[in-house]
Amino acid sequence: MYLYLPVALTSINILIPVGLGLLVGLLSGLFGVGGGFLMTPLLIMFGIPSTVAAATDSNQIVAASTSGTYAHWRVGNVDFKMGLYLLVGGFAGGLVGVEFIKMLRAMGNADFVIKITYVLMLGIVGAYMFIESLSSMRKKEVKEAEVQKESKVRTFLKSLPLQTHFEKSGVTHSILVPIFLGCMVGILAAIMGVGGGFLMVPIMFYILRMPMHVIVGTSLFQILFTCIEVTFLQSYTNHTVDFVLAVLLLVGSTIGAQVGAIFGRKLKGEQLKILLAVIVLAVTVKIVFELTLSPSLLLSQAGGH
Amino acid sequence: MILPILVVSLLLLCAGMASAQLTATANHDHITVDFFYHGSTISVRGISDPGTDLIIKIASEDGKQALRKKGKVGGFLWMNVGELEVEHVPKVYFLHSTRNIEDILSRDEMNRYVIGYPALEKYAKMNTTDEAEKDRWFSEFVKFKESSNVYGTSSGKISLVNKDGEQDYYILTEWPYQAAPGKYTVTVYAVKGKKVIETATSNVLVEQVGMVKSFASMAKNNAATYGIIAILAALTAGFGVGLVFRKNGGAH
Repeated sequence: MYLYLPVALTSINILIPVGLGLLVGLLSGLFGVGGGFLMTPLLIMFGIPSTVAAATDSNQIVAASTSGTYAHWRVGNVDFKMGLYLLVGGFAGGLVGVEFIKMLRAMGNADFVIKITYVLMLGIVGAYMFIESLSSMRKKEVKEAEVQKESKVRTFLKSLPLQTHFEKSGVTHSILVPIFLGCMVGILAAIMGVGGGFLMVPIMFYILRMPMHVIVGTSLFQILFTCIEVTFLQSYTNHTVDFVLAVLLLVGSTIGAQVGAIFGRKLKGEQLKILLAVIVLAVTVKIVFELTLSPSLLLSQAGGH
Repeated sequence: MILPILVVSLLLLCAGMASAQLTATANHDHITVDFFYHGSTISVRGISDPGTDLIIKIASEDGKQALRKKGKVGGFLWMNVGELEVEHVPKVYFLHSTRNIEDILSRDEMNRYVIGYPALEKYAKMNTTDEAEKDRWFSEFVKFKESSNVYGTSSGKISLVNKDGEQDYYILTEWPYQAAPGKYTVTVYAVKGKKVIETATSNVLVEQVGMVKSFASMAKNNAATYGIIAILAALTAGFGVGLVFRKNGGAH
């Protein structure tokens, strides 16, 4: 059955957005990512204009992350305190990133920077998570050697002022650490035009040392607020949110997020990380192919990224 | 799903060979776009002088279009390398003819009536002065439009029947859902001796109706309210599904 989308100005088989929502919602509930890096290109592939795809995706992530945060909160896996500090940094970083992109666009090389940042970030994060998870699944001894290396970073983090204990995550950090990291992710997310979940999850694990299950819930909580802001701005300034498409997507994604949260609790942290790493690497390979293979069309609709 | 069928009837009434009187009548000229709209069909029919060839052009108004150009950066990376601006071109352009246009119409006449892609290119203004570049990017422009289903040409699909000293013509053509709401002009050219001897026109209005219209207009005119409603609906749906799963024992 087809439905006409009033803002995208196109008609779509309703099974496509519902199915895509289910798939991305599942990933969202499993790994604590918004899934924008997957959903937006998929929507464009199915004929949705790029500007509408990106804006509408943030609208449906509001629903999926609400559903996911709620599911994780019920089992005590959301660190609201950490989430709020990350959020403060994320908002500031987002503003800086948007200005940076404006500057690049004026200089005429924004697209190059966006694409290279995308490939590098996805590639580095995916490869690091994959190798690290694989080795820690194989032999636990490696961890002992790493502890020595990490102690320098830890000493530095401990020396920072405004130390506070994050009860839910069981870690102590200066509040400057999550604010700074949130800001860095915010800058990169604004440059790439994504929510930044796939960057935030590894940072929470490797730098903030949070337990994997709390990371997923906390990341979703943070993504929820980021996407509320983005949805409003996209509706208000660009008029590119397609409410009908968002509803179709969220029908699938809210259910997917719940199912993902249930599955996530049955998987170990290492298994979750390695699965996310494989997905991130697959997306990286796809982008590398897009960048190097001759496209069938040399023109595309203006707008979006 | 029943698709609305639009019938545009154009009557070419010819009083005589030299002073043929041309009138155009549209039976249904209003395509309504509701939630279940998935494109439509347009049928154009009418009468012309026996022995004349026909060209039917369905097009939107001319305007300016901006598209992103892809090109190689550093010799091997395909990226967006700038914007292509094309002026004086329609967003939708369909051309149907009884025979190959090049065989029935002279190049001058094609240019004069903007019939065919070469004429469209001649008429278009682009943000490049180099002729070879203009050729290359205009052919990419047509390729892009055809892949979006908003440009197309066909020959030999118009059926002709000679009856009582007149020629009845008829074509049934698909109307793509990708064509945006707006006003479109159907122009029928009667062609003889490589020249256009008569033209008849009619309008087709594609319009959003009901909830589709309300959503589209709210997104544009009440953007803040629209954004807040979209966010609240998403929050409610997220919580709602969460509660359903809780009741069904989805949690631990």
